[in-house]
Amino acid sequence: MTRVFVTGLGVVSSLGFGRDQFWRSITEGATGFSPIEGFDSTDLGREVAGEVKGFVARDFLTAAEARRMGRCSAYSLAAARMAVTDAGLTDQHLAGERTSVIMGTTMGEADVIAELEDAWIHRGPDAIDAQKIPRYGTTLLPIHLARAFGARGMAQTLPAACAAGNYSVAHASDLIRSGRADVVITGASELLQRIQFAGFVRLGAVAPDRCQPFDKNRKGLIVGEGAGVLVLESEAHAVRRHATPLAEVGGYGIACDAHHITRPHPDGEGSYLAMMDAISRTGVTPADIDFVNAHGTGTHHNDRVESQVMHKVFGDRSIPISSMKSMLGHCMGAASALEAVACVMTVQTGVYPPTVSYETPDPECDVNLVANQAGRGPAEVVLNNSLAFGGYDAVVAFARPGRVPAQAPAVQ
Amino acid sequence: MKPYAITGLGLVSPIGVGYDAFRRALGKSPAAAEVFRGQPTVLSQERIPDAVAAEVWGFDAREYLGKKGLRNFDRLTKFLIVSAKQALLDAGLKRDGAHLVPPERLGLCSATAYGSLDVISEMAKVAALEDPRFMNPGKFPNTVINSAAGYVSIWEDLRAPNVTVVDGNCGSLDAVLTAETHLMNDRADAFLIGGGEALSEPLYLAFRKLSLLSEGGRCFRPGHPESEGTRLGEGAAYFALEAAPFARTRGASVRAEVVGYGNVVEPPESEAVLVHGSSRAVSRALQMALSDASLAPEQIDLVVSSAAGVGTFDAPELSGIQAAVGDVPVAAPKAYFGETLGAGGALAMAAGLAWLEGAPVHVQIAGRSLGPLKHVLVLALGYYGNASAVVMRAAN
Repeated sequence: MTRVFVTGLGVVSSLGFGRDQFWRSITEGATGFSPIEGFDSTDLGREVAGEVKGFVARDFLTAAEARRMGRCSAYSLAAARMAVTDAGLTDQHLAGERTSVIMGTTMGEADVIAELEDAWIHRGPDAIDAQKIPRYGTTLLPIHLARAFGARGMAQTLPAACAAGNYSVAHASDLIRSGRADVVITGASELLQRIQFAGFVRLGAVAPDRCQPFDKNRKGLIVGEGAGVLVLESEAHAVRRHATPLAEVGGYGIACDAHHITRPHPDGEGSYLAMMDAISRTGVTPADIDFVNAHGTGTHHNDRVESQVMHKVFGDRSIPISSMKSMLGHCMGAASALEAVACVMTVQTGVYPPTVSYETPDPECDVNLVANQAGRGPAEVVLNNSLAFGGYDAVVAFARPGRVPAQAPAVQ
Repeated sequence: MKPYAITGLGLVSPIGVGYDAFRRALGKSPAAAEVFRGQPTVLSQERIPDAVAAEVWGFDAREYLGKKGLRNFDRLTKFLIVSAKQALLDAGLKRDGAHLVPPERLGLCSATAYGSLDVISEMAKVAALEDPRFMNPGKFPNTVINSAAGYVSIWEDLRAPNVTVVDGNCGSLDAVLTAETHLMNDRADAFLIGGGEALSEPLYLAFRKLSLLSEGGRCFRPGHPESEGTRLGEGAAYFALEAAPFARTRGASVRAEVVGYGNVVEPPESEAVLVHGSSRAVSRALQMALSDASLAPEQIDLVVSSAAGVGTFDAPELSGIQAAVGDVPVAAPKAYFGETLGAGGALAMAAGLAWLEGAPVHVQIAGRSLGPLKHVLVLALGYYGNASAVVMRAAN
């Protein structure tokens, strides 16, 4: 079975655009939180988010592209262009049926539907601009990308809520391993938008001004937005064009808690199964894992359960873990894609992103947190953890190229 | 691809809830089903006057699921759970609520095109006209596209991968590939595949605004040049799919097999165009599915098309079929239940199965005379140049 390499990365985030700026901010422990400018949230009692500031679609898109897509797709395409450039791929490499696009999201083109709804609610059906209706389809995220790069293979959206990035990378790696694609442009994109922001506030999940994963006094998540895109290639394709792989995609584990629509299983059953599956399908053992980029939302339930699962998976071993949501906020569908980008950078550099704003240890979250400052250590094999609405658990392993067996054994 | 066994199915459709009712309805003409019978109950006459659509008339989830635990479910979620329950029972994967295959080995891949649109719309209205603080937190998770499928796994206790796919009208055929991948990699023993779509006011209004609907006396004849628009429908269908040896070992009866899959997206010729039906995408998806099934075009006995009555899509679909497989008989099942978008591929597969099992084909729109059916090609054409195809084979 072929190896799957990551050869390019692209980012749109509240901490900058492109992998270099993003990674510099992350390793410096910067936060992307600021007062929300996209909509008025004062009546909700929460006014801070990880909002992307200074994004100009035309810096990355042609005029025709900018006209035909909403902001969620614009983030995707901007990040994808950066990733493709990073990978050194040309239109010639990408054109045709051997290139696919798999993108994740939670709500897709939320700004388009908000604009259409707003016209309908306040001014009636005649006020709806029919030209804008076709821009709403969630299916459009990968289709816009496919069109931009001439890719004619599968173009699919995987709306797996806050695990969407990991779902996309996982399924993209399957497309390559099964021989259905040579290159897959994959990742996820999400918008900060009033309805979903209000929904998280109504669930009592949003903290006032900062996100403190695994801290005893954590008060919830900060909502964020952005896009993370990875270029995956088969080993043969990468070798043929003399590309330098940044990391290798190892195995992945996906499970469903089948317990509650928003809360994780109290014992983290699905999360444990997904982590163990990702490890064994990578062809390694828990002892080989160097670092876990945790889901770490800063909510009471998630962080407690995720800590329990770390102990269950790694036993007495104190594995370093960290949550980037302390800096970016919870970028929902895009979260695990941005974290996947960071995992690749950890494999590249041996630097572990910090969990900032950490002050008070929580006995219920007894983990070896990379607290407040970036860490450094071995990074041969790292895990990207994600959990999501729907009881989804998805974990993807990234490794130094060639470090893990090419053909991982299936779990019986 | 290796053949995968269809061991059961469940569905909710305007022409019947459950496969038996659906198949009985296919035995008569589309007109006999009388599904386009006036203002649907889910569309307000005040907001969406004089609508014509194929609702699942009289659907009450309590009849199938009991009265408890349904409060926060939207219409799509109810369709999906009812379909999944039937499919698991029909396949013998569950009996009397108990698992006959462990829950950790049962997965789900569910497609939708506009899944949570009605809930997003409802939330937007509350936020705009009342106060965002009045939004119902119990219903908020439904705004997340995968929540309906998530509820299926919770209700039926399915703990292997749960995947929601969005690929417009093609998604429920794409579910075949997801299931194949997970079954092949031993992540599950059986997968429910399919999808659903629920009729809603914003969805209907969008199609009306785009002048795509056959209403006000405009002709609705999917696959025929005189058709002047489509009619929306709704529903859901799930198939239980498993590797043939696993099905044999557990003594399951095999209704048919899935033996090939193809998918492609083609860009439009003009930069200014977004919505387009691609004839080339249709023919390439069909060719890929045939190649995946190691079949020649002449071995296909029937194409189950996605023709839905809009000429700008039906025409390229028919020409793409002609280019890929020639003068093969083509059927248009959407004449029965309308355009069901994300559910369309799954309901077309259900029609394909009924026809493989001997139901008469009343909606042939092209091709030579029908003979005995062994291989059926099911097709879905999307609005953005995307197309998917699945090959089904009759059980031995």
